[in-house]
This record gives sequence, structure tokens and C-alpha cells, in this order.
Amino acid sequence: MAEVVFAYKNITKRFFGVHALNNVSFELERGKILGLVGENGAGKSTLMNILGGVLQPDEGEMFLSGEPYVPESPLDATCAGIEFIHQELNLFTNLSVAENISISSFPCIRRTPFIHRRAMQDSSRKLLQSLNLDISPNILVENLSPGERQLVEIAKALSTNADILLFDEPTTSLTANETENLFAIMRRLRDEGKSIIYISHILSDVQELVDDIVVLRDGQVMGGGPIADFPIHRMINLMVGREIDNVFPDRIPSIKDRVILSCEHVSETGMVRDINLSVREGEIVGMFGLMGSGRTEFARMLFGIDPYKEGSIVVDGEPLPKHNPQESIKRGLAFITENRREEGLLMDYPILENIGLVSLPDYSAAVTRLVDSKRLFKRADEVASSLRLKCNDLKNQKVKSLSGGNQQKVVIGKWLLKDPSLLIMDEPTRGIDVGAKYEVYLIMERLASEGTGILFISSEIEELMAMCDRIVVWSQGEVMREFRREDFSQERIMRIAFRQDIDYDMEEKVVVNGNE
Amino acid sequence: MKQTLRPANLAKRILMSEYFVLYLTIVYLIVLTPIIPRLWHPMNIQNVLSNMWPLLVVAIGQTFVLILAGIDLSQTSVMAMSSVVGAVVMTSSADPVLFTKSPLWGTLLTDQGGLMASSPFALPVGIAVMLAVGLAIGFLNGFSVAIFRMPPFIVTLVSMMLFSAMAIFLTKSENIRHLPDSYLQISKTTFSVVSGSLVIAIVLAVIAHMVLTRTLFGKRLYAVGINTTASQISGVPTRKTIIAAYMVSGLCAAIAAILYSSRLEMGRPTLGSTLFIDIVGANIIGGISLAGGKGKVTWTIFGVFFFIILANSLNMLNLSFYIIDMVKGSVILVAALLDVARNRIRKAQM
Amino acid sequence: METNRLVKFVLKNSTAVLFVLIFIMFGLIAPRFFTAKNFQNIMSNASYIGIIAVGMTFVLLTGGIDLSVGSTMYLSAVVCGKLINEAGLPVFPAVMVSLLVGLMVGAVNAFAITRLRLVPFITTLITQTIARGFGLFITRSVAVNYPDSVTLMSTSKVLGFIPLQIFIFLMVVLLASIVLNRTRYGRQLYAVGNDLESAKKAGIKSDRLIASTYMISGLLAALGGFVTITQIGRVNAGFGSGDEFDAIAAAVLGGASLFGGIGTVFPGTVLGTVMIEMIQAGLVFANIDIYIQPIIMAAIIFSAVFIDSVRTTQIKKLERRNILKV
Repeated sequence: MAEVVFAYKNITKRFFGVHALNNVSFELERGKILGLVGENGAGKSTLMNILGGVLQPDEGEMFLSGEPYVPESPLDATCAGIEFIHQELNLFTNLSVAENISISSFPCIRRTPFIHRRAMQDSSRKLLQSLNLDISPNILVENLSPGERQLVEIAKALSTNADILLFDEPTTSLTANETENLFAIMRRLRDEGKSIIYISHILSDVQELVDDIVVLRDGQVMGGGPIADFPIHRMINLMVGREIDNVFPDRIPSIKDRVILSCEHVSETGMVRDINLSVREGEIVGMFGLMGSGRTEFARMLFGIDPYKEGSIVVDGEPLPKHNPQESIKRGLAFITENRREEGLLMDYPILENIGLVSLPDYSAAVTRLVDSKRLFKRADEVASSLRLKCNDLKNQKVKSLSGGNQQKVVIGKWLLKDPSLLIMDEPTRGIDVGAKYEVYLIMERLASEGTGILFISSEIEELMAMCDRIVVWSQGEVMREFRREDFSQERIMRIAFRQDIDYDMEEKVVVNGNE
Repeated sequence: MKQTLRPANLAKRILMSEYFVLYLTIVYLIVLTPIIPRLWHPMNIQNVLSNMWPLLVVAIGQTFVLILAGIDLSQTSVMAMSSVVGAVVMTSSADPVLFTKSPLWGTLLTDQGGLMASSPFALPVGIAVMLAVGLAIGFLNGFSVAIFRMPPFIVTLVSMMLFSAMAIFLTKSENIRHLPDSYLQISKTTFSVVSGSLVIAIVLAVIAHMVLTRTLFGKRLYAVGINTTASQISGVPTRKTIIAAYMVSGLCAAIAAILYSSRLEMGRPTLGSTLFIDIVGANIIGGISLAGGKGKVTWTIFGVFFFIILANSLNMLNLSFYIIDMVKGSVILVAALLDVARNRIRKAQM
Repeated sequence: METNRLVKFVLKNSTAVLFVLIFIMFGLIAPRFFTAKNFQNIMSNASYIGIIAVGMTFVLLTGGIDLSVGSTMYLSAVVCGKLINEAGLPVFPAVMVSLLVGLMVGAVNAFAITRLRLVPFITTLITQTIARGFGLFITRSVAVNYPDSVTLMSTSKVLGFIPLQIFIFLMVVLLASIVLNRTRYGRQLYAVGNDLESAKKAGIKSDRLIASTYMISGLLAALGGFVTITQIGRVNAGFGSGDEFDAIAAAVLGGASLFGGIGTVFPGTVLGTVMIEMIQAGLVFANIDIYIQPIIMAAIIFSAVFIDSVRTTQIKKLERRNILKV
């Protein structure tokens, strides 16, 4: 049988008396890719931190090639041949690619502290070539695209000749082509005898890539084995602990005639070209496209965060000339951004203040600008309970103490206080667990039925198809095609997003992949 | 078991209390009373208070900027500029020997004094001009920080250099005397305690407190201090908020300049030049962090109060100025350390 | 496309462009400006602020700041003077001790910042007060005079033609540049300034690196203090006060960022320092009122920082990723 490279044995970890991990055991075999899935808070990151020596387990042992393995710091993990490729990149944009790759162990000239630059560049060049990345090792990382940066990060991990590689959500910032390339590289590394742990929320990716899988829930292993035994519905089943035959609510279209938003010929150099788009009252319009296809950029222009050169944006029949979020908000627009932490929330601030932030002017007196806190609290409380926000104390509890799903509800609540007529949602379900996703869908459905127009940006085609009345497909800064609900087809939408579409009706067998 | 834990818990609670600095000041006063009985002499009380009001005013201005995670090094130069400009407007006579080299001589300043010399409007116009100077410099700072996205430290450092040089240039380093009586009255004390300065400082503190805790501007200020991008997307006019905060800082410095120069009975181009560490020190002692998003007027009041008492008691012990400076520095250091310790305890409790 | 490239070039090299412009401007105003003697004067005056600014650059690279250098200069110069005058120590060991004093002040800063986790701004503001207070305590705020053995050093020439202070400055620059560009330490310093968390994850001992920058800054402040006393021979109570701002201004003029990770000793900080001295010399040549000189200085620093911030946003815009494939 295959050789076991690494094993967790009965690992238990408690934080403040609460089990983060409870008696977790599983094994990683040489030359295999092991998928690790579970909801947020299931214990994946704790498990990885223990592997990486960041945390120590309360009970249990780990074995590396049969020998006990007790890492006390990240350095121990590196020495033991374990490398991490994290979701957020750990690159230094002010250093060159080569310097980034060898940052932890610069090759030096004999025993001096001077860096052996030639050796450094040569070894980097080799690594880059092995990853099909055609860039000079001397280029600064700040000049690279997100996909290229991800590959540099991988080169860095490979430079130490690690035996075990851990990929934590590495595809979030990649285009589909880059993802395919990454997967090909991972498969090759596996075939070369490396062992890989792959953590991802995108279950279809997991299914495509891994050999074995482990499903975690509430700090316990719910199941594991060869991927063939775990179709997606079974993974979800184990992750949430209940049978969900339908993860989306029933959608009852409720489109009215009134056009809330219409954009005509919106263009911006290098970003988007000639965008025409409209949203009606009660309509959910999906925007699908690969990462970097211009959807988010367009949404930011629409909301007045970034400028656009040409075209017109009309809200409720009136043009929206002035260009800033304040004006957009006044005209009934709302924008749930893709990253909650950086752009959505004041993490260090109480929930109430977060929910109230947008509508503060509505609750402040005309001249003195004194805020009517009582009225604001009452309204915020109503909205919070309508969103089923789980918290102890609206007034004093800080947002950062909430779970991802509840944080997202705070963001949504912040905008609902304004009763927007058009809600732009950019990846509203990213990074939240399955249960919370379902609740977000319910809220969308409710808002649409109440007449709110929703512009729904997502990279998950399933949720778009389930929730939208129309889907607009983007590619390279342009709207390629629009689909009505009755014409939705996962394959067609994907092909258009990949620009392999032109005669899609005639050509039935176009295979979507990255190696053209 | 519970019995032994109590004292430690109590100590922790006192340390974590918002009023910790106030308690500390009171304890300090109690300890000092037998050592320096003169502390409670009316003359000394008057002295302490007259030092306290202007520092409080300028420190409150700094608090606004600190909440934004900014810093305003230029407050001291605002004080110098507005005291000089105000005095130029109000003075009733200027000595030709001292001022002929001044660039203002012959136009804005003559041996007959300034523009409003001896006019009944000298006081209101002079004060208005002083406040305008503070607001204008604050606006320049805020504009550079908010619109050009320049780091606050450098912006205010440069305006500190620029305007203190300007104040010295305008008067060629000379103090301007002969200010109107009504102006000097502002800092005159009756019953050892009551003065115009007291009224101005307390009214300002109350308004500042209301603004920070109750108004739209106050709430937005904290929001911008915590996360500017998120605030902007939530419709907070971040640029206006930032500019306004620096203008408040400049305005407060100008009001402090009124209180100081009224007490000194002159417009002085070096007014406040050594005051920066006192302003920031008082804020830090009060518990306001440089990281932004945090701060209250009450904290600033406690900080200023403690700082002034400390300085006063050290003076009364007849210590040399450099010893006093070293002690002041050490106390700020301890305060900064306490802030770190408190944050650790808070984290551990979470 | 061509203008775009030109704009980009000018923005990326704004310090150098500004330098040349100012240089030419003063040359036109006062032809005497273009003399070898004047250049030597400028370099000579630049040397002490330059030495301190090099130390400041190290600190700025980590995203820190050192406001204590002016006081460190004073304290170490005082110690040096007292050791020579009162303890009768020969100049060389006295200078060594005074450098040690600078290193100590730096070590105190380093300890407070990396161990006690205090903010650099506050820490160094406090050590600024305390170090000067300590120096005043030693001297009872009386000025210290230095014997001829010290002041004569300023007239000595290395290799027969390089004045000592310029030589020291150049050596500091050379050494610092090599350290920053060619050694593991230097590159890791840039990494720490760019992203502290990632640097820690990469196994870089960031606290040690940060601590070392304050010690370097303290040491170089003491060295700068020594270079100054060889030139002026007397240290009064205000010696070095405010020089921290000149050093920061020089580094920032040279392109160093207050947010860390960006900046070079050569050409950056050197150019910044020489520019400041050049302007000062130029103002003297142009017979500008001495009261106006600091105003012009401040205005020039402001415009440099202004250009830098415009540059950063413009470069970001120019380098923004194109989604549209034309």
C-alpha cells in the first residue's frame, strides 16, 4: 500500500474550554492530493496551524513518515519539509521575484553576509520555468498580476524542496485559465511524489483535483476516503450535518415594469467598454465572469467610487451625473463590496454603529446635527432581527467578534436601513458557510419580492442560475451576452465567459480548459 | 479562594477603568499635600488653572486629529502665527526701533499700532482674525492630507516649520505688546479661580464632548479613524471629515493662543514652540492611542489635569527644568506602557 | 504613448529632476554657485545631516521613525566633551565612548519598541526629552567647548584632498548602500518594511531587524554629532535640536516613504541631503533674507512630498492592469 507521509493521531485542541478540534485523526499518503473541506469554523485552520507549528495541540500526536513530529514554531515546520501556500499571499512587492523566492534562506557568498546574486537568480529561473511562468527573476513583484504572484508564492514553497505542500484556497484571485494551470502543476507535483493538502470552498474544484478527501464539521472528522466515494451532495451533507436537497430557496420572479437602473455606453480606458445594462424593479440581474473580467470594476464605477470616461448612468429615470458614493446613496443605490473586512465593515466598532453608518444623516437633526440614537437603535434592532442576526448586544458588541455570516448580515443590514431601490451585491456569499449562504439567498428573494432591484455579482454560476432573472456574462471588460432565466445553461454561460462561444449553437463539443 | 482573588481583581478594574488617570491624580495630590503644603495656596491654584485652560483647549483639538489616526505637529505654529497676527491687528503702539525691519512695517504695523489700534472693534476683529488663522492653517493641513493623501506627520511637520518661520519673519523675532485691556481681561482671574479662560475652556470641552459623542460629525470621525475606505463606501464624506478635523485642531490651537497671549500680554512668535510634547503627552496620559478610532474629551481632560499637576508639583520642588523634562518624559512613557498593558488585558479577556 | 512614458520617467525620478532644476536655477541666479569651492562647502555641510539621515533611512524602511536623533547628538557630544575636558581622556577613546552612548540611546528605543511594543513615534519623542534632559543634567546646561585637537580634525584631508567629514559621510553611505542592497540583512529589512506579518511568516527575525535599525540610527546620530563638533568646536544646550526633522526631510526628499519598505541611501537620501544643503547655500548666494530662508526651505520640502504623493497615485494609475485586450 501507499506510504503514509504524515498522520494526525487523536488531535484535540480547545480554546477557552471549547473544542476547536476533537479527536481528529487522518493520514496523508505520498504522491496524493488530499482535499480538506468543511464550513468556516469547522477547524481547518486550527488543524493547519497545528501542522505549521503556530499552535500546539492539547492532546494527540502527529507523525511525519512514522516519526513523532512536534513543531514548536513555523520554522520547525519548514525544516521538516512542510510548506504553506496561503489564500492571502505573503510576497514583498518591493522586492524582486528572485528575492522573494529566497527570502528565508538567501544563498550567500561563502560565509559572508553578502548575497550570491547569480546563484539566487539561477535557482529562481529554474523554478519559474518549471511552473511555466515566463518572467524575469529580477522583476519586482509589484509589477506582476495576481495569478503570476500566486505562482511565485508556489515557487517560493518549492524552493525549499518541501515534501508536503499545503494549499489554502489558492484559487480565489486566479482566472480560470490560471486555475487550470495551477491544477496541472499540482498534479505534476503529485506525480513527482510530493504530497499535497488542498483546502477549498469550491467543491467542484475539490472534486476535480483531489485523490482523497476529509470532511470536517465542528472540529471532528465526519468522513473521509477516496474522492470517488464523495460526490458533492455527500460532501455538503457531511459538512452541514443535514440533508439539503435544495440549497437555494424557491425563486418566484416578481419583476415590475419600472426601470430602476439603466446604463448606456459606459466605458473607461483599459477597464470596461461600451456597457449597456438595465435593472427593473424586483429583478435580480446576475453578472457572471471570470476574476478580472470587469464586473467589480464596473460596479465600483456605477456606485461612484471609481471614475468612468464615457456613457451615462440613469437611476429612476434621472441621470446620475455627480460622481461619489454619497450621491449614489441619495439616489437609492447600495453596494455590498466583495471584501467585508477592508471595505464593508468597521471591525473594531460596535454592530449598531456599523448598521447605522450609512443612514446617520437621516437620524440627525437639521442644524445641530445631533444624532437621534434612540430612533436609530430602534430601527437597527428591527433590521437586525429581520435578518436574524445572531449577537448578544447590538450596542456594545464589536463586529469582529461575529462569525463571517453574521458579519455579512451586518453589511446587508447597514444598507437595508436606507431602503435602497437598487442593491449591488459583489460576491455576497464568499467565505461564509452553507447555512449563512442560504439565509443570504432568502434575504435577496425577500428584497426582490418587495421591489428592490438587485445586481448580483458572483463567480459561482450555480447560485446565479438559481437566484437570477437574467444573467449578464462578462469577459475582458465587455458584456458578451445576456441570458434570460428560461435560457440558462451552465455550459453556454461558461463557454461565453471563456470566449469560446462564437458559434456555440453549432458546435456542441467544445471542451473548456486552459491549454489551448 | 475568592478572598485572595479580590485585591487583584480590584486592581485590574481600577487599571481598566476610564477614570484611572483621575484616581491617580487624586492619589498623587493626597500624597503631595503634606510634602508641599503650598500646593493649596490660592496663588498656586490660580497658577495651575491658568496653565491648565489653554493646554486643555489645544489638547482637545489634538484629540480630534488623533481619533482620525492622524497627528498635528503644527498646532504650536498655529499658536505662534495667530498670536502674532492677532497682536498685529490689536496692538495700540509698536516701537519703531524693534519693528522697522518687519515686513509689515509701514503698512499693517506703524508706531501708531496695528490696523484696529485703539478702535473699539479691536477685540472682536483681532479674535476673529486669530481664529481665522487657525482655521486656515488647519484647512491647509486637512486639505493636503485628505485630497493629496500626504502623510499627516510630514504635512503637519512642514506646516509647523513653515508657519513658525513665518511668525518669526513677520515680527523679526520681536514680541508685540500693547494689547487692548479688554483682551488682557480674558485671562484675568477673580476669586482665584474664575476667569474668562476657564469659561472658554469649559464651554469648549462641553461642546467638543457633545460633538464627539452625539453628532453626525463625531460618529463619522471615529468611523474614518477606524476604516477610511469602508467609511467612504458607506457614504461618509471622508475628505470633508478629515479636513474638518484638522480645522478643529487649528481652531483649538488658535483659541489656546488667545488664552496664552492674553496672559502673557503679548503676541509672541515663539509661543507654544516647546508645547508639542505636552499636548501629545497629555493625550497619551489620558489614554488616547495614536492608532486612531479611540478617544474621549473626558480622557483628554484627565490627561491634561494630571500633566499640569505633575508639572506644577515638580516646579514647586525647585527642580531644574531638565530634571522636570526628564520626569515628564518618563511619565508619558509609563502612560504609553499602561496603554499597552491595558490592551493586553482586554485581549486576554476576550 | 511617448508622453505617457516621459511623464512616468519624470514622476519616477522626481527627486533627481527636482535636484537638477534647483541646481540650474541657483546657477543662473548666482554664477558663483558653480564653483568647486562651493560644492565642497555644500558637501561639507551636508555631511553631518547626511550621516544622521542615513540612519533615519534605516528606521524609515521599517515603517518607524526616530525623533530622538537630535538629542542623541547632543548627549553623545556632551559625553565626548566631558571625557576629554574633565576626565582627560584622549580624543579617540572619548569618541568611541560617545558613539557607544548613541548606540545605547538607540538600544533603549529598540527595547521599548520591540519588547515593550510602544509606538516608535511616542517612544522616540520621549527619549528625545529624556536624552536631552540627561545631557543638560551633565552639563548643568552650560555650553561645552572642545580642544583644538578636535577642531583641527575638520581641516584634515583624507588622501590629501577629501575633507574628513566628507570622507566619513561617503564611507557611511558606501557601507549603508552595500548593506541595504547586497546583504541578507538589507533585503530582509525591505521585506519587513513592506509587510511585517509576511516577513514573520517567512521566518525573518523582524524584531531583531527593527531593533537594529534604531541602534544604527543612534550610532550614526552620535557620529553625526562628532562630525559637527569638529566643525564648530562648541556645543550649547540647543545643539542638534530639530535636526531630526532635517534628517527626516532629507530622507523623504530622497524618496523614502514614511510607511516603510521604500527608500534608498544612494542615490535617495544622499540626493535629498545634498539638495537641502544646496538650497540653503543657494539662498545665501542669492542674498535672501535669513528670516525667509526657513520659509522657502519648508515650501520646497512640502512640494517634494506633494510631488511624491501625486507620483504614487499617478504611477498606480499608469500601471493599473488593463482588462481590455485591444
